[in-house]
Amino acid sequence: MNKKFVLVSLLVVVAMLVSACGGGGEKLAKSINLNLGTEPPTLDPGLATDTTSVQCDELLFLGLTDFDDKTLETIPELATKWEVSPDGLTWTFYMRKDVVWVHYDPATKKVTEKGPVTAYDIEYGVKRTLDPVTASDYAYVDYIIKNGQKFNTGEITDANEVGVKALDAYTIQFTLEKPAGYFAGIAGMWVNRPVPREPIEKFGDKWTEPGNIWTNGPYMLETWEHENKMVMVKNPKFFNAKNVSIETINWAMVVEESTAFAMYENGELDVCGVPSADLDRVRADPVLSKELYTAPYLCTYYYGFNNTKPPFDNKLVRQAFSMTIDRKKLVETVLKGGQKPAKTFACPGIFGSPAEDPNFPEIPFDPAKAKQLLAEAGYPDGKGLPEITLMYNTSEGHKRIAEFIQQGWKEHLGVEVKLANQEWAVYLKTVHGPDTPQIYRLGWCADYPDENNWVLEVFHPTLGSNDIKWNNAEFARLTEEAAAASDPAKRKELYFQAEKILVHDEAAIAPIYYYVRVVCTKPYVERTYAPLGGEHIDKWKVKAH
Amino acid sequence: MTVQERAASRLTAREQRETNLWADAFRRLIRNRAALVGGLIVLGLILTAIFAPQIAPMHYAEGDSYNALTVPSWLAPFLPIKNIQSYAKINNNFLLGSDELGRDIFSRIVYGTRVSLPVGFMGALTALIIGLAYGCISGYYGGKVDNIMMRIVDIMYAFPTMLLIILLMAFFKSTFAQVQEPGTIAYTFNQINKVVDRFLGLQGGGMLFIFMGIGLTAWMGMARLARGQILSLKEKEFIEAAHTVGAGDLRIIVRHILPNILGPCIVAETLAIPGYINYEVFLSFIGLGVDAPTPSWGSMISEGSRSIRSYPHMILFPALALSITMFAFNFLGDGLRDALDPRMRGTS
Repeated sequence: MNKKFVLVSLLVVVAMLVSACGGGGEKLAKSINLNLGTEPPTLDPGLATDTTSVQCDELLFLGLTDFDDKTLETIPELATKWEVSPDGLTWTFYMRKDVVWVHYDPATKKVTEKGPVTAYDIEYGVKRTLDPVTASDYAYVDYIIKNGQKFNTGEITDANEVGVKALDAYTIQFTLEKPAGYFAGIAGMWVNRPVPREPIEKFGDKWTEPGNIWTNGPYMLETWEHENKMVMVKNPKFFNAKNVSIETINWAMVVEESTAFAMYENGELDVCGVPSADLDRVRADPVLSKELYTAPYLCTYYYGFNNTKPPFDNKLVRQAFSMTIDRKKLVETVLKGGQKPAKTFACPGIFGSPAEDPNFPEIPFDPAKAKQLLAEAGYPDGKGLPEITLMYNTSEGHKRIAEFIQQGWKEHLGVEVKLANQEWAVYLKTVHGPDTPQIYRLGWCADYPDENNWVLEVFHPTLGSNDIKWNNAEFARLTEEAAAASDPAKRKELYFQAEKILVHDEAAIAPIYYYVRVVCTKPYVERTYAPLGGEHIDKWKVKAH
Repeated sequence: MTVQERAASRLTAREQRETNLWADAFRRLIRNRAALVGGLIVLGLILTAIFAPQIAPMHYAEGDSYNALTVPSWLAPFLPIKNIQSYAKINNNFLLGSDELGRDIFSRIVYGTRVSLPVGFMGALTALIIGLAYGCISGYYGGKVDNIMMRIVDIMYAFPTMLLIILLMAFFKSTFAQVQEPGTIAYTFNQINKVVDRFLGLQGGGMLFIFMGIGLTAWMGMARLARGQILSLKEKEFIEAAHTVGAGDLRIIVRHILPNILGPCIVAETLAIPGYINYEVFLSFIGLGVDAPTPSWGSMISEGSRSIRSYPHMILFPALALSITMFAFNFLGDGLRDALDPRMRGTS
């Protein structure tokens, strides 16, 4: 999923003063205040594309599967178990029978049961995501499902031809276009979650508003004051409700990272992302340094080149530019949060990523070689280059990185690059549009921990979004073959080759660093860290303080 | 003796009287302490902008991130953070410290005058030119013309200026951000912008678009002021006299009316300059102003505000530079008004 830099600081937690007796005599607080960072663009699981919306959906809606926070393995959630046919094309999921839809009335605080969550709700949800009328930006994730792409692009109009079918109320079967070992993860993604047909048909776009929405997750939506705050309360009908300790989550929407951190330091908040400007001070502070934790986060920050716009239609120029980004210095002196210089597109922790393979040929920081390459390309000392624009979405963080890299290119290559920025929504249109800038920045975060989600879904010439306008037949073949292969060793080898072409041989993009999440948590919060998707706050505890 | 000589002597007499008038105003201005100090600061700022490469010890875009975030030793004891020495680099390498990429803050403030001052002056100039022309035509012809032209101004006024500028800048940013094919309007604007930036010695500042954004919204006040002045002047006897001797409209406006209303208009614009500088600072603060790495006080304040709790020196100095400049222009403007505005004469 695309994400903004600021969203790295996801969670701000304030424990409320109210406290109660928990099990075993341990004093627990009942509520928690978190920072969402921004207004979630949507709560509709079918439409969510960003980390903020996904965080909310994680708490409100259950998926068939989920990812273990520690091992990243696919674990059952709504499903109890699943079976794959020998050819790898048919996936059958058996579901829990004790999950119900609930409706919460904020005015009366009344919780009403609305019947069981069934396989029919999942079938409805998947078809709704793929329906062109829904216009889900994430529908392409389901192109792996039989006829998913055809239905989504309008080639066929009968939803019943899509390879998803409820065999009975608690058994759902998916038929795939081709084998995909990672499908269990996709089946649990927000776009494939069960959604309630009744309120959707009754309220249309407004079905996610408090009072209208039906949910089935550990929490229910109580209040949503747009651009201001959101309140979620514990779902008493949730099958695991007795193990959910926190009863009320108050989400603030403080956009500015430094403001949120000031609130944390004032004791108003319990968990907060640490802005890079404050890192040195936090590390030196005897109290704050103990509350600091660097958690892995499956995202990569990269610069894409528009491979059709001169001079970046020349691979030597791309290599020269990638080679003069001093990633190590950037990470150590500017970002300082323990990020790692990236040598591949997919970050460590993703199945098939060669990030930690010592044999992977990385693009080194080598100004002399870069100069030579640029000269070979016909631009000695940058002479004769057309005007080059680097674009990023408006943010201090991105600006700083862009300035750092721009300075390096000027110093090592003698090339003056123009910086431009646009506001996020406009920026996304520019980057995804036909006129992608010569160099643009984006981050990519794992939706499910498999290379397929990276190389194929982002840069495949036809199956991916391919903002770099790159058309490499060998790369396309490798990624397609790897997607269909079932032998893990074979897939790893294919992805190794694909990544090598992408970042090294052709240097179609310049990966910059692998994200981490630098968070401060007050000592009385017992928490988990989710490396992808949303945090599982239902598993957290706040001790009385 | 001859007619010619008489005319010549009359001319000299008039010139002398005019010089005395301006000299009088100048004397009054100098006698005003605050205005004098303000004027000297403005003069100093202009010189700083012109000689920025000579004054600044480093180029504004150069720096080594290994030297990032150094706090000047002389300042450290005064900062309201107890344990700053436990984490910050405190040394004397930079007069006012360095920013997050190791760039010299002093140099960036010095170069920042090349953004702020041109914006202030260009804003005033465009407002003066467009506003005066518009107001003169509207006020002089009166009637239906006046009615229509002033309603247009009213409509423009109804937009919140700040919002209008933000919209304009967002439009410019999305239209002109990328390199365009030659021949398009966007390309032409980009070329002009490049000339402007090169003239100011800034790499990729995008200054033309800021001038346009501010210029397009700044002239309405001036148009109203000029119109009001003309309405009170055009019924005066000397205008009627000009009419009777057969002077054309253009001549009457340029030769007889303009010189009489120029004083108050200049005063109004001098007082408006801090406003224009403020607009630019605000735009850069929210990221819609100059393009990085061009230093604007606004973008520096924006950067500094994010690290205010750890490195307050980053926001302190650009903010100081900005407030001093604002004070200077305001004092100078006040002084000029006292010295020039006929209605204020003798009321000191």
